[in-house]
Amino acid sequence: MSTIMVNGVRREVQSPPDTPLLYVLRNDLELSSPQFGCGMAQCGSCSVLLDGKEIRSCITPLSAAANKEITTLEGLPARWAKQKGLSVADAATTLHPIQDAWIEEQTPLCGICQSGMMIKATELLERVASPTTAEIKEAFTTSGPSAHLCRCGSYTAIMEAVHRAAGAMAKGR
Amino acid sequence: MATPNEKPVNIFGAKLTRRDLVKAGGALFVGFGVAGAVWKTQVTAASSNNSLDAKLPGSWIEIHPDSTILIRTGKNDFGQSTTFTAYRQIVAEELNTTFEAITTVVVGDTDRTPDGGGVFDLLGGGTPNIRKAAAYTYQALLDLAAERLGVPKSQISVKDGIVSGGGKSMSYGELVKGQHLKLTIPVTGNLTSLMGLTVTGNPPMKPVSQYTIIGKSFKNSVIISKVTAKEQWITDVRLPGMLHGRMVHPKTLGSKLVSVGQIDKTRFPNAQVVVKGNLVGVVAATEWEAIQAVQQVATATKWTDWKGLPGNANLFSYLRKEADWKSAPVAKSDKSKGEMAPALAAGVKKLTATYEMPFMKHAPIGPTMAVADARPDGTVYIHTHNQNPQALRGELALMLGVGIEKVVVRTYPGSGHYGRSNGGNAGAEDEAVLLSQAVGKPVRVQWMRPEDFQWSTQSPAAFSDVEIALDASGKMMAYQVDHYMPAMQDDRPVGAVLAGLPTMPAPDVNAPPDSIGTTANGIQDPWVYDGVPVLMERGHGTFQVGQKASPLAIGMRDHSMRTPGQYQQNFPRELAISEAAALAGADAIQFRIDHAKEDRVIGVLKAVRDESGWETRVSPHAKRVSTGSVPVRGRGVSAMFRSGTYWACVCEISVVPETGAITVEKYTIAVDPGIVVNPLQLKRQVEGGAVMGISHALLEEAKFDESGITSSDWRSYPILKMGDVPAIKVVLLNRPEVGRYGGGSEAANALAAPAIAAALHDATGKIARRLPLRPEYVQALLKV
Repeated sequence: MSTIMVNGVRREVQSPPDTPLLYVLRNDLELSSPQFGCGMAQCGSCSVLLDGKEIRSCITPLSAAANKEITTLEGLPARWAKQKGLSVADAATTLHPIQDAWIEEQTPLCGICQSGMMIKATELLERVASPTTAEIKEAFTTSGPSAHLCRCGSYTAIMEAVHRAAGAMAKGR
Repeated sequence: MATPNEKPVNIFGAKLTRRDLVKAGGALFVGFGVAGAVWKTQVTAASSNNSLDAKLPGSWIEIHPDSTILIRTGKNDFGQSTTFTAYRQIVAEELNTTFEAITTVVVGDTDRTPDGGGVFDLLGGGTPNIRKAAAYTYQALLDLAAERLGVPKSQISVKDGIVSGGGKSMSYGELVKGQHLKLTIPVTGNLTSLMGLTVTGNPPMKPVSQYTIIGKSFKNSVIISKVTAKEQWITDVRLPGMLHGRMVHPKTLGSKLVSVGQIDKTRFPNAQVVVKGNLVGVVAATEWEAIQAVQQVATATKWTDWKGLPGNANLFSYLRKEADWKSAPVAKSDKSKGEMAPALAAGVKKLTATYEMPFMKHAPIGPTMAVADARPDGTVYIHTHNQNPQALRGELALMLGVGIEKVVVRTYPGSGHYGRSNGGNAGAEDEAVLLSQAVGKPVRVQWMRPEDFQWSTQSPAAFSDVEIALDASGKMMAYQVDHYMPAMQDDRPVGAVLAGLPTMPAPDVNAPPDSIGTTANGIQDPWVYDGVPVLMERGHGTFQVGQKASPLAIGMRDHSMRTPGQYQQNFPRELAISEAAALAGADAIQFRIDHAKEDRVIGVLKAVRDESGWETRVSPHAKRVSTGSVPVRGRGVSAMFRSGTYWACVCEISVVPETGAITVEKYTIAVDPGIVVNPLQLKRQVEGGAVMGISHALLEEAKFDESGITSSDWRSYPILKMGDVPAIKVVLLNRPEVGRYGGGSEAANALAAPAIAAALHDATGKIARRLPLRPEYVQALLKV
């Protein structure tokens, strides 16, 4: 039995401690936003935040997540609400500005990579409030274990959505 | 049937649920008409054979008493958004109602949608099935309204789903409530074939001049559910008692099983091996146990060796000298004309060149997976993300030796795979069925990353020989091309082949009538330079590489991939035309315009010239450089006609001669689809295609040795990263006067390669006629 903190909630799981976090989240906790892409930290579709840092859940053992705060796409609205001190009622109807931007820009094509992309965007925008296009490219290409890959070619739409989200977050909404 | 939970989505105030039929208790209601009350009659014949009757309008469109509308289509969404945006717009337009009135779109499921067919050419040359079904339904509604309002049909007007006449008005909901409607829609075709069923006849369609919904950028409802983590992806499907499966695929593309490794029960007490012929799989209660157990079993499993492939290095020599190009009939394009030999002989200048295109992978980000539930009563439910669910149903029924009524395919959003499953299977479905059947429980089969590269189909390699003759004025007198490509469409499910179970035949000269699984190579790239007086375009086909040599009859299995066949034919044509322009001392865009006759060809070329800031001049550039460490710049152009749409693109590149590294700095593309249905969605499609095309051009080549594919991950098969994406400018040319809407999800991925190669020539004076344009190749080319 292991205990982990996911999206602000303490969860107990039965999986062996060497189980990759990806399968714990998807199968034990039914938090299915991180997707299996490669199992080798080469694509970013399984990304989650671990204490605010983007990691690849496909190669991160459950044991490495102990005593750390995990955030998945499901937890982005609450993360934003907490950061902004929104009321419980407001929080329940609020999306993270990154999610709003992804919708407004109609960013996903097939969308299988986009949970990881939004997680990466969250890490970036919590670090750099108003990134340049070059900084966005750097974040999604060279800052992590590998570039975040999109086979459908939504990179342009992602860059536009990150700029939009940065603007919205700067305004507090 | 354990149906996954519904996840309703709130969109623009309307509740949109893609599977809300389940709320009716899992039964299927097939309307004998469009009317609400009528649906309460369950059509038993339809539900017992697990199909909808495509001849009944209620199988396509339901109008509910509250005036909300449900539509059904066999076409899934593979990221094009078409079924959730354009189809809603088209139906709303034909029914004279609002976009928002269409609250439910049911896609793909074989027991819940009527028409089948592959997910490609979704706008169907301007008249997809759903448009005609809506047009028929609209006529029936007008008849009903005339009867109810007591005025002639000609005096009925309809706006936003409200019918008016004789001073009275009523909503569609009120109109259809309790009414019977006698209407049969004419359909033709074979449900489980590549093309599926086609709605025929000529119902009156709304004039383009009256469009109010088509042309607007409506949002895709599914994007909201995906972005908010509420979508049920195929990867999320869990059935009661479901086991996790992993495969042990053979050691090579021709290996047979010698002995199966035993599971170490001390480590994996809940895992089990399944063997059927050369098909080996492992199932376990948890995913992690399955992953570890399959590695242990794979290590201990013995296969025969096989070496029967030419390998990368010898591919084009093999194709040229050893492949059998004689057995398949030679195709000739409809536009071929004139006497070639004298025209070539009379040329003042001549270009003779060969162009080579590598094998490429569809390379979905998510490897193929499926969940199968083979039940004791002999029915099989398969949950998948698939581009032709009805064809998959046919293939599984054939494999199992049962009628199609025993097979139900349910579809979910998943990882795009760009054509791989348009003939019915993406890879894991049949294996999931065989494992489920063997263990008597639902099984989820997930391929791992290397398997998806090494055991899936791929886009076939090809080469083309081009000859062009120019006259004294620099005009093209004659153009001749011979395209050579192995069979492009192998739809045999690989698990069925390994298990020795029935499948359709491997690609052959004598392909079945409904299949395109032939070794013949048709002309896929419509000629657009009608000013050339003498033209010959020939297509030569052969068996897949290794197909006949492999003891498994497998080898390098090919499959259509985004802009299939046309990719392989457009690269040689467009690069050759740019070379011919250079030979003629002409500007590459003006040269194309001077040889085109169609207004729309000329229109896209002029648009891309204006919008890219193209400087009219000869290539290569006067300051071309092919040595040194300083980046040198160039530009190139390409053009294409596909699925009713005209395309032209300009790529501006820089290249470092010393390293051969190419950077695409700016990409401008002009698109004339006739009527633009949804500008934002089309723009996103085109941008995505542009990125994929740059990736194809610069990076992509499936590597293989004598035994199999050696590309196994994103390092050995790299694709374009965000850091390498240029500024992309999409220019949409809306031409309502054309009266039709053309396709937008393909073509863009093919245009980049010839434009980039032409830009390399412009920058350096050297011509790269082989793809991909990887640094080591370009570096070597520039040293010559």
